[in-house]
Parts: sequence; structure tokens; C-alpha cells
Amino acid sequence: MYLNILKRDLKRNRTINMILLLFTILATVFVASGLNNVVTILNGTDYYFEKAKLLDYIVFTQFGDGGVRSILEHSKQVKNFREEYCIWGSNDDVTIKGKKLITKNNNTLVLQPLEEDQLHFFLADNTRLRKVKQGEVYVTSGILNKNHAKVGDILRIQLQGVDLSLQIAGEIKDALLGSDMMGNTRLIMNSKDYQVFASSEKVKPYEGRIFHVATDNTKALASELTKASNILFSSDRSMIKMAYVMDMIVAMIVLVLSICLIIVSFVILRFVIAFTIQGEYREIGVMKAIGIKNSRIRRLYIVKYCVMACVGGVIGFFVSIPFGNMLIASVSTKMVLGNDNGHGIHAIGTMLVMVLMVWVAYLCTGNVKKLTPVDAIRSGQTGERYQKKSGYRLCHSHVQTPLYMAVNDVLSAPRRYLTIWLAFFLCSIFMLGIVLVASTVRSKNLITCFGKESDIYIPDAKLIKMNVMTDDGKEQLKESYRSMEKDLEEKGIPGKVSMEVWYKYSCEVDGEAYSVIFQQNTETKATDYRYTEGTAPQNANEIAITPTIGEQLGVGIGDTVTIDFGTEKRKCMVTAMFQSMNQLGKVARLHEDAPTSMAYASAMMAYQIDFADHPDEKEITERIQTIKKMYDISGIYDAAGYCVDCMRVADTMDSVVVLLLIITGIVVILVTMLMERSFISAELGQIALLKAIGFTNRSVWKWHVCRFLLVAVLAECSAVVLTVPVTKLWCDPIWAMMGATDVHYYFDPIKILLIYPGIILGITLVTIGISAWKTWTIKGADLVNVE
Amino acid sequence: MGNILEVKDLCKTYVIDKRQNNVLRNVSFDVDEGDMVAIMGPSGSGKSTLLYSVSGMDLATSGSVFFDGQDIMKLDKNTLAKKRLDEMGFIFQQMYMMKNLTILDNILLPAIESKKSKESRAEKVSRAEALMRKLSIIEVADNDINEVSGGQLQRACICRSMINHPKLLFADEPTGALNRASSTEVMNELVRLNDEGTTIMMVTHDAKVASRCKRVLYILDGTIKGEYTAPTDEKLSDMDRERRLNNWLLDFGW
Repeated sequence: MYLNILKRDLKRNRTINMILLLFTILATVFVASGLNNVVTILNGTDYYFEKAKLLDYIVFTQFGDGGVRSILEHSKQVKNFREEYCIWGSNDDVTIKGKKLITKNNNTLVLQPLEEDQLHFFLADNTRLRKVKQGEVYVTSGILNKNHAKVGDILRIQLQGVDLSLQIAGEIKDALLGSDMMGNTRLIMNSKDYQVFASSEKVKPYEGRIFHVATDNTKALASELTKASNILFSSDRSMIKMAYVMDMIVAMIVLVLSICLIIVSFVILRFVIAFTIQGEYREIGVMKAIGIKNSRIRRLYIVKYCVMACVGGVIGFFVSIPFGNMLIASVSTKMVLGNDNGHGIHAIGTMLVMVLMVWVAYLCTGNVKKLTPVDAIRSGQTGERYQKKSGYRLCHSHVQTPLYMAVNDVLSAPRRYLTIWLAFFLCSIFMLGIVLVASTVRSKNLITCFGKESDIYIPDAKLIKMNVMTDDGKEQLKESYRSMEKDLEEKGIPGKVSMEVWYKYSCEVDGEAYSVIFQQNTETKATDYRYTEGTAPQNANEIAITPTIGEQLGVGIGDTVTIDFGTEKRKCMVTAMFQSMNQLGKVARLHEDAPTSMAYASAMMAYQIDFADHPDEKEITERIQTIKKMYDISGIYDAAGYCVDCMRVADTMDSVVVLLLIITGIVVILVTMLMERSFISAELGQIALLKAIGFTNRSVWKWHVCRFLLVAVLAECSAVVLTVPVTKLWCDPIWAMMGATDVHYYFDPIKILLIYPGIILGITLVTIGISAWKTWTIKGADLVNVE
Repeated sequence: MGNILEVKDLCKTYVIDKRQNNVLRNVSFDVDEGDMVAIMGPSGSGKSTLLYSVSGMDLATSGSVFFDGQDIMKLDKNTLAKKRLDEMGFIFQQMYMMKNLTILDNILLPAIESKKSKESRAEKVSRAEALMRKLSIIEVADNDINEVSGGQLQRACICRSMINHPKLLFADEPTGALNRASSTEVMNELVRLNDEGTTIMMVTHDAKVASRCKRVLYILDGTIKGEYTAPTDEKLSDMDRERRLNNWLLDFGW
């Protein structure tokens, strides 16, 4: 008999059951993919490195192996190691479609053959690159876009007299050099093509090695390797991991999004189950009246929801896999993100939804025990109510009836609309948060995290001559400033040129030695910078530090640090704290008079130009074009552009914004559509009544549209109001990971107040407009059919 | 007095599972202004379908329905809705009301929606309150619909149906869900409204209720089988009126 009741129920309440099934599928998709994404992202780099066979310690050498192999063979620290051959080149040696190759962070290129026993490289679809045909070449991910090239274009390498043209076969994800911070471009070719270069005597000096070492003690190994020569760069796995911090930060956004979607799913699922069970009170009452036990009635409904959970869960499980992969793929263009237990985690997520659904059904049917048959027949309304539904009365209202009824409904049953509000709000606030972050990344608000604000920045390697990193380099650098100022003056552009130089000095605090990167710009004053705490360094014996350095050295404002400038040791007092995203915040700032030497310089940032005549933005843009022509370079930026160049996540953030907009749109469409269909089914009698007493179809439709639109407007307004504080809440810790402890967000009013809320409201309006069309089919005469 | 409603050869056919079901077959009758007509008949005879078809809530398959001289079967949906709002009133057996509105607001709803009169909202509120006072439910004006008795709720429905001064009031089993006392109260109100000039057409299967109407049409298998005109003798008691009607109904096997 129960099976018959169940079958008939599934047939009779087809719309409501279909809505419930769709919500179950939706919840399963979001929860299963969300859970998998959380696990994937938390294990992000480790999984990638394992897949790529990246070992614990990496050593790059030039001019042969520099004795590294011998050290590794005899070291007790080494468990095993791998040696890969490579040729070092620069972007000057390569052209694509006849134009010089534009590389990422630096000009260095690595040419390598594809071999079985080496680091694994992956294609865009995360499959391993296993073969490179002769005459073809694979390049590091991002290079094609940067050079406006495509697969099939010709890449020409002219290295020390060897000239070889190869056809680009695709891009690779490179675990070791692929991150934006490492930024070296790797060209992977067939062994025979590689031999064309390797066999040339002229190329021999450029041949190097990449050693991948498995060890438990990287510190001891690093110490042993100091005896080797020609080491270009060595690093342990944690540093390589750190280089992916930007990618991981973007991936974290997917993690937060997944959590948001999980919350939305559970809230909506709970509401829909409670809502549908409420609609069945009459039948429950009839069953109670004819003497069926409470437990049997409850079991009937629990079985129904269990069947629904199983069907929805299975469908949701299969949909969740491609959906989750899509989310992850959108943020991992440089990484292979995933986990080996993906399907298992999806299954756990699915089970979780199924169990939760049955549990919620169990809780919601709890009322069966409390209700008498008569109460149940009255749909749970006992006739007694001590609380007014809404204080908003039609007799005191001055708006049209559809709008009044919409407002009154929302005020009368706030809990019901709270669910919709919450779903819209959660998605919107997260999306607006990402828009806020993306706008901030594209604004000049972050410039103080990279240096002093100037009118333009020229980080182009063609102008910045690294050969000034010698004892007398400071004078050469100053000469280059004056020369540039003169060039500009001749073009009628008066301005002051300067540059931030990074020095690597060892410091001593309480007998402990540390190696710290110091920033100094001798042409500006230390007081020109922004400090979050304390006062700017006033003389050469004062320094400012970041909170990260303060934590590392265990010092704060008022403490002293002994800095070994090479020529002398000075006790310097910490007078201020500042934020910096350079080196992820592991930097300190020197006074302009500090006795630095270019021999200790580790990096030169960008030429900064401060125009003397304070031009407006339009004039600055024109001057940028003039200077580009003057020096035949492309990389000249204003402050906002320089931030984008430094952060390198702006484009990814923009794609994440689009992705989020799509997901928010999908959630809004589904929630609106399914909720509205539930409401129409529950309010069939009221709609028919309005039609019967003479309300036009349009009036009834307007009532339903206004109701949803009202909730959507409330959700968007609250999301807009709370965007900044909520974004600070979840994003400030992410900025802090990058060294920025006091970020001023750029609130773009057009985007945050107008465009994005407008799009969501537009989507809601269209969806509700279409969904509420169903009310047109209900006639006054349908009152006869209402139970 | 002229006809407010003129029904000619009205047919209504439903097709269920490819089977044609003729619910109304060439039904013709008139309702004069100020009349009070009851439609009686057994269950499934087509009483409610007739009511919904002549009131424009449902479209008939063929025939014509002239309401105040206008064929409503030729009107578009919006005009028909406007006609129902401004010129017709409806009372249903189940006392349907908007759940989230108070009794007063439910009564007021059609008045606010209607653009017929140029009254201010305050004037409409006063009129609704006057109606409620007249039907003795003013004390429940601010109550929710589940805080009042069935009789009070049906009287509220009558107020709602009367708020726009309808030319014709349709009632579908107005006392069907009420107890004897409430039923009498509601009928008293309807008779009083009719005495004041409101034309009423109601569907009922209760001879006691029908006996208070001026005319009774008996419908069977979608066809009007007979018409009964109540005696105009004011000295007749309600019981006598009911007895006479019952005697007439006996001819139809009632």
C-alpha cells in the first residue's frame, strides 16, 4: 500500500517533486564539487609537485655541472638525484612570427629536450606531455598570449650561429619555472632538435644542468653545495611552492566560492523540504484521522525523500565532476590541480547531501507527532496566532495593489524570503568582493605596497643595465638618471628620475644572523613613503621594516638591528613599520643616506619618473607614448599599470570575476525559477481567487515579479553595503600572506553600485518574469480544483 | 426592469482522455435586475460550471452570455477581468481569502485594484468599514483570516463581493461550509442586499437556502429542466416557502 501511496504522490505532485529533485541535484553538484575543490586547493602545490616529480632541492648550473654532481654523489644528505641537461639563452635569441620573443619576468630562456626521466610537463588539459615531434616546440604557459601567437606559428631560435625554426605545438605547465614569480621561459623540443644546439661548440659554454635532489636536510645540503661553482640558482621545494602563492590565492577564491555554494545549497534544500512537507499536512491529517500511526506516516515521507535524495544524488554526482573540474581549470592555467581521491570525495559530498536530506525530512516530519488530525487538515494552522503577520496595511498604503501584496508577503513571511535573500546575498557579496579585489588590483591603491607613487614606471630590461651592480655602480646609475632626465627635457617633459634598488645585507639581532633584502631610493626621501606605524627613518642609522621582517627578526619599533653594509657595520634603529608586497613582505627600507653599495645590489626595480609640472592623467598617457617611442620599448606604465605588472594576477582576476558572474547568474536563475514554481503551486488558490474577483493576469504576474525583485533588490543593497567590510574579512588575510597588511580597497562605484548588481537584478527580473508567466495559465474557475 | 443577464444556447464541453463530456447543453435563461435566482441540481449536474461560464471566469464552448447588454464571450481576457472586478461580485463556498491580509484589507483589495470610482483610498476604507458594520463584523476588521469564525469569514466574503457595487452577485454554495446558524445569518444578509437592489445568482443544493430566492432554476445533466417562481405573498413563513419549493423539487426526483 505504501508503495502505491508513494507512486501516486510522485505522479500527482509532479511539479513540486520535480522542483525538489532539481534542488537535490543542485545541492549535490555544489556540495560534491565544492568539497572536492576544497581538498584539491588545500593540497594544491603538493599534488602538482608530486605529479611533476619535483624533488626536494633544485640546483641550476651554467658552464657544465660546476662540480655539483660530484658533491651530490658523495653527500650523505642525498637520497637520490636527477640530472637534466639544458641550454641557457635569452629572449634576444628567439623570434615568433618575426618579432622578438616577449618573455615573462626576466629574459632568461631554458632550452631542453623532452626525456622520460625528467620533470614532467603537462598540457592545458592536464595530461602529461609525452612526445615532441621533430620540428616542433612546446613553450611555457602564457607565452603565446603574451606574444599574440598561436599553435602552429613558427618560433625561430638563433643561438650562437645555430639557426633553427620550430613550429609551436602548444603550451606546457611547468612546475619548476612556470609560476609568474619564477618567470623563466622553457622551450621543450625533440632530442634531435636539441642536439643541433648541443653539438655546436659555440653553444657549449651556455650548456647547463638542472639537478633535482631528494633529501631530508636541505639546509645541510645547501651548505655542502657552497663548494660548487657556476651555480646560477638553487632552491628548496618550499621556495618554489612560495612562487605559486599568487596562483594559490586565486585558487583560494574558488575555495571560498565553494563554501558559499555549499551554504546556499543546504539553506535552500532545508527550505524546500520544509515547504513541501507543509504542503502535505492535509494528507498527513487524513492518514492520522484514519488511524495510521505517527511512525508509519513519518516513515512514508522519509522513504519518499530518501528515494528523491538517491535519484537526485546520483544525477548530481555525475554533474558535479565536470562542474568542479571547470571551476578548478578556470583558476589553474599554470598549475595541475586535482587530487587522486577526486571521485571518492565527490561520492562523500553526494552522501552528505543524501544523509542531510533524509535528516531534514526526519526533522520536518517531527510535527506529525504534535499535530492532531484536524490541525493537520487545516495545514498546520490552529486558528490561534498571537503575533501579527505584518504591520503594513493596505488601508494605510499608497502603492498599487501588486506592489503592496508583494511587500506584505515579504513582511508577513520573512523566514520564507530570508532563504531567497540569503542565497542571492551570499553569491552577490562574494562576487562583488571579487570585483572589489579585481578593481583594487587594477588601481594604484596598491602602489605603496611596491614603492613610492610616481607618475610613470619603466621596468623594461632594455633600459635597466644590470652591469651597474658593481662598487662604483651607484655613480653610473645616477648618470643614467641624469641622462634620462636630459632626454626627457629635450622632449619638453621635465621630471625627476629615480629607481628603487634592492640590496641583500646580512643583519644581526641578539647574536643571530639573518639575510635581509633592503630597499633604497637615493633620489627620494624616506619620508616620501607611506608607513603604517611609527615615523619615517630620519637618518642613515634608522630603518623601517615590514611586520613580516619584524616577526622574522623578532624586532619592533625602537629595537636595533646591526646591518653589515660590507664597508661598515651599523646599528640601526627600527623607527617605522610599512607594508610591502615585494618579496611577499620580506623587505626593509633604508634611509636615502644609508651607506649602500651597488656591489650588494640584488635587484633593480623600475625607473620612476616624477614629472615636475604635475600633468593630468591624459597628459601622462600621452607622455607614456612619447617615451615608448623615444626608447623603443613597450613596458612603460602609470602607477596603476605598474601595480598590475607587479601583481600579475589582474587578468586571472578578471576571468574569475566573469566565472563568478556566470555562477551567481546560474544560482540566481535556479533559485528564482524553482522557488517561484514552488510558490505558484502553494498559492494556486490565492491566484485563482484574484483572477476570479477580477484581477488581470498582468496584476497577478506583477505581484509575483515584484515580490522576487524586492528580495533581490534587498539582497543586492545589503551586499553592496557590506561588500567592503566582508571583503576585508576574508581577503585581508590573503593580502597579509602577500605582505600587504593595510590595503585600501578601490571601490569602483560604476562596477559595484551599477553594473554587477544591475546584471544580477536583470537576470532575476528576466527569470522571474518568465517563471511567473505560469500564473497566466491559472483561471478563476481553477478555484474548484483547489483542495 | 431589464435583463442584467441573458444566456442563450450555452454549451460547455470538456474533453478528458479524448472523451467528450457535455457539461452544459443549450442552456438559456434570463436574470432580471433586482432578481435573486438560485440554481439547483444534483452533484455533477453542471451548476458550478454554469455559474463560472456566465460570470466569465471560464469560457463556454458555444452560445452567448449577455451581461448588461454586452456579450462577454466576445470580450478579451483583460476586459472580462475588469468587468468581473467592477461589475460583478463573487462569493465561494470555501471562503477563499488572501492569507497574508487582514479581514479589512481582503475586503478592500478589489476596491483598491478597481479604477471605477474616483474615491480616495480613505473613502474606500470608510466604505469597507461601513459594509463590515452593516454585516456586523467590524470588530474583526484587523484580525487575520484564521482568527475568525466561518460565518464571519463568509460575511467578510460578502463584503468583499459588494465593495465595488456590483451589478450582479454570483454565489457558489455560499452556505455550503457553514453551520445552520451561520448559514441563516449569511442568507439574511444576502436577502437584505437583494432587497436593497443587488441582483443575485447563486448555486445551491440546499432547498432551505433556495427557498429564500425569488426564482429557482433546476438543472440536470447540463440542461435546465424547470423554473420555479417563489410566491410573492409576504405572509408566508419561511417554512411554508421551503415546503412549497420541496414539493416542486419532488417532481424532479429531489
